[in-house]
Amino acid sequence: MSMESSVTERAAELSAQTIDARRVKIDRMFAGLLVIQYLAGIAGAFAVSPYAWAGKERVLHMHVWIAILAGAGIAILPVLLAIFRPGTALTRHVIAASQMLSSALLIHLTGGRIETHFHVFGSLAFLAFYLDWKVLLTATTVVAADHFLRGVYWPESVYGVTNPEWWRFLEHAAWVVFEDIFLVWACILGLREMNTASARQAEVEHLSEQEQLKSAALEMALAEIRSAPATA
Amino acid sequence: MSARRRIIALVLIASAAIWVTTIALALDAMRKFESTPGIAADAPQRWPSLQAIDRNANGSTLVMLIHPHCSCSRASIHELAEIIEAAPRTLHTFVFVYRPKESAAGWEQTDVTRAAAGLRRTTLVIDQDGAAARRFGGFTSGQTFLYDREGRLRYAGGVTSLRGHAGLNGGRAAVIRLANTESGKATHPVFGCAINSR
Repeated sequence: MSMESSVTERAAELSAQTIDARRVKIDRMFAGLLVIQYLAGIAGAFAVSPYAWAGKERVLHMHVWIAILAGAGIAILPVLLAIFRPGTALTRHVIAASQMLSSALLIHLTGGRIETHFHVFGSLAFLAFYLDWKVLLTATTVVAADHFLRGVYWPESVYGVTNPEWWRFLEHAAWVVFEDIFLVWACILGLREMNTASARQAEVEHLSEQEQLKSAALEMALAEIRSAPATA
Repeated sequence: MSARRRIIALVLIASAAIWVTTIALALDAMRKFESTPGIAADAPQRWPSLQAIDRNANGSTLVMLIHPHCSCSRASIHELAEIIEAAPRTLHTFVFVYRPKESAAGWEQTDVTRAAAGLRRTTLVIDQDGAAARRFGGFTSGQTFLYDREGRLRYAGGVTSLRGHAGLNGGRAAVIRLANTESGKATHPVFGCAINSR
C-alpha cells in the first residue's frame, strides 16, 4: 500500500470515528430533549387547559389526554432508537420526524399560538448539529406534509379560514426552506472542516510514525557502531 | 441472533407500530375535538327583556356569553377585543359571565373574566345560573349576538375558527362587517364549553 493511500484511509477512518461519536451524542441529546418536551407538554396542558366544563361539572380536558398519550406515542420510538441504535441514519431520521411532530403537538396544545411556531425553527437548528443535511430534508418534509394535509382537510386549524388559496402551505414551507438553505450550507461546511482536520491528524500521525522509524533505525545503527571491535 | 438482540428488535418494532398509530389517532382525535362546535343558540330575533340591562340606544349591541373556566374562551375574548377595535365606537358590548348556583365566592374570578373586564366599551355582567344565557337562547361559551340599534338580531354564532384557536375567521369578519353596515344577517359555529344544556 502506498504512503498516500494509507494516509487517506486513516483520514477517512478518523473522520468516520469523529462524526459517529458526534452523532451518538446528538442522538442522546435529542432523547433527553424529547422526554423534556413530553413532560413540558403535559405540564403546559395542565396549566393552560386542565378541565373542560359543562355548567358546573368538569372533566379532564382533551388537551391533557392528548399531551399524555400522543406525547408518549411520539417520543417512544426515537428515544428507544437513541438508546439501542445510536448513531444510525434511521435513528436520526426518526428523531427529525418526531421532533417536528412534537412541534405540531405543542402548537396544538397552545391553541395555535404563533409564538409556539418558533419551536419548529429552533428544532431545525438543533437537527443541524448532526451535520447531515438529509435529516433536515426529512424534518422539512414532515412540516410541509403536516401543513399541506391540514390545509386540505382542516384548513381552519392552520390558516383560520375555510377556503385558503391552494398554495398557502408553500408560503409557510418557504420560511422553513429559507432557514434550511443556510443550515444545509453549515452542515456541508462543518463536514468539510471535520474532514480537513482528520486529514491533518492522519498526516501528523504518519509523520510521527516515520520519525519513530527513523529514530529506531538510527538507534540500531549507533548500537552496531558501538558494539563493533576497534580495528585501527 | 442472541435473545437480547431479538428482544430489542421486537421492542423497536412494537414502538414503531405505536409511533405510527399514535400519529394517525392523535391527529384524528385533535381534529374531531377542535372542529366539533357546541350547541348553536336559539336566539330571539328581537332584543329580549333583561333585568337591569338595557340595549344600547346609540348603536349596535354586542353580547358574548362566557364560561369563566372554559380555556377555549380565552380565544373568544381575544377575538372580541379585535371586533371592538374594528367596530364603530357607538357599539356597546355586554359580556355575561356564567356563575352557577351555590358556587364558592370568587368562583367566576378567572383569567378569562379578568380579560373580559379589561375590554373597551364593555360591561361585565355576572350571569347567575345562566339566566341571561337562557334569555338569549345560548348554550355555549363564546356564543356571540349582535343586535342593531333597532334591536333586531344581526348575528348569532361564535367568533373563533375552532376550539380555542384565535386568529382570522369567518365569525369575527361577519360581526365586524354587520356592526359597520347594520344590514344583513349571519351565523357561524360556536366553539367552547357548555353553559346550559338544551
